[in-house]
Amino acid sequence: MRANVRNQLSVAIVALILGVLVVAQARGQAGGSGLQDRSAQDLTLLVANLNTRNDQLRTEVADLQRQLATLQSAQSHGVTSAGQVRSDLMRVRTWMGLEAAEGAGIRVVVRGPVPASAIGALVNELRNGGAEAMSVGGVRLVASTVVSGDVGSLAVEGVALSDPVEIVAVGNAPALTGTLTRAGGIVAQVQATWANVTVEVVPLTKASVPATNHNLAPVDAKARP
Amino acid sequence: MSGLWARLRTFSVWQLILFVSLLALGFLITAQVRSETPRVQYTTQERQPLIAAVTDLQNAQDGLQTQILALRTQIQAAETSSEGSDQLVRQLNNQLLSNRIAAGLVALEGPGVALQLDDSVAPPAGSGAATDYLVSGEDVRAVVEQLWLAGAEAVSVNDERVVPSTAVIDIGGSILVNSAYLVGPYQVKAIGPADLYQNLAKAKGWVDFVQARATKFGIRISIASPPSLVIPAYAGSVSLRYARPVEATPAPSAGTSGPATSP
Repeated sequence: MRANVRNQLSVAIVALILGVLVVAQARGQAGGSGLQDRSAQDLTLLVANLNTRNDQLRTEVADLQRQLATLQSAQSHGVTSAGQVRSDLMRVRTWMGLEAAEGAGIRVVVRGPVPASAIGALVNELRNGGAEAMSVGGVRLVASTVVSGDVGSLAVEGVALSDPVEIVAVGNAPALTGTLTRAGGIVAQVQATWANVTVEVVPLTKASVPATNHNLAPVDAKARP
Repeated sequence: MSGLWARLRTFSVWQLILFVSLLALGFLITAQVRSETPRVQYTTQERQPLIAAVTDLQNAQDGLQTQILALRTQIQAAETSSEGSDQLVRQLNNQLLSNRIAAGLVALEGPGVALQLDDSVAPPAGSGAATDYLVSGEDVRAVVEQLWLAGAEAVSVNDERVVPSTAVIDIGGSILVNSAYLVGPYQVKAIGPADLYQNLAKAKGWVDFVQARATKFGIRISIASPPSLVIPAYAGSVSLRYARPVEATPAPSAGTSGPATSP
């Protein structure tokens, strides 16, 4: 009798451990987003970034809804939508780099023996800070633009970059300046990593960037219906 | 064989249950231990609400992106619906469509290269920090840049389309592309000419990258060259708050820059 109880207890304990492990494993699989590995500080930064991005997306949704309503209203009144389409066309072309653009912004002047990766890092940070149009050495940046070459012989789109390298960005000047120059930010990192390189950030009331010379129309890729 | 059967019959039911349970326990313990990644595990309680917030925000983002793509389709349909009656609108619509394709606002299909970047499974050695063995935003940016230089026409990272406003950033051990939170392994896809793979493989920048990250720190890089792959449309904002076109001259030619003609 006593042996029987002991056996049942053994099975119960093993079953309990088994249950706990099954739940733990299932949760581990469900949490395959890697979030379980992040510190509270990283998660807080992630929340802030996602909030900012979602606000931008909500604004875009509102803009598109307004655009659609205007189109539908014009059509219901028998009015041509040419003005709306033209406006949409210019916005897309300016965003993608096919039209020269201007507006408030900043100029970043990089002096010294700077590597291509540092210019790439600065451009990346400016994009993250919300720059709407940019140029490097007077060459408009599009999605495929890459600054390449060895230190002292950098080039962008086949155009040689001389010292100092100048980046112009159109966007919210205080926000862009803050993104670059915050403590431990990209300017501090670049200057700390390459001792002879200096980075100067100048706010501009009017920053101008040219249109790209690139033909951006795809040749090998086809639009997916 | 009959001896083994006879011996098995001497076991009671509870012994068999215990045996099977312990077997399962062993499997589960192994699975649990293996599922522990090299990244640091944190156990503080305050993280749970933050994890829930990130998950909710990411879900909201997915919903907003779907909404944006649907609205763009509706707008395009509304814009083209009046083309039959208006030559100018038809012309503008054709230009708008070809510019949207070139801008990354339309999904593309074609031959190309698919790469996968994954954290090293090798334990951190004497040289370098533990993070050197993990895929970083800088790694992803380097690969994207090498693909552009090799002639790619469209690139995506874990299905986030790379467009003029795309930033790839690190937050702790996470990578954000277009501010979307991505989880490794990171898949970078590119559509381009038939020799895209060959161009990439022989590029000095690519060879240097592989040596610096795969050879030295064990970052796992796999590469394929499928005959056809799909790169999704960019589902983010194209609104401009600060930049305006210098010459507001409409009706330019598709996909190229240059002065436009007024209708």
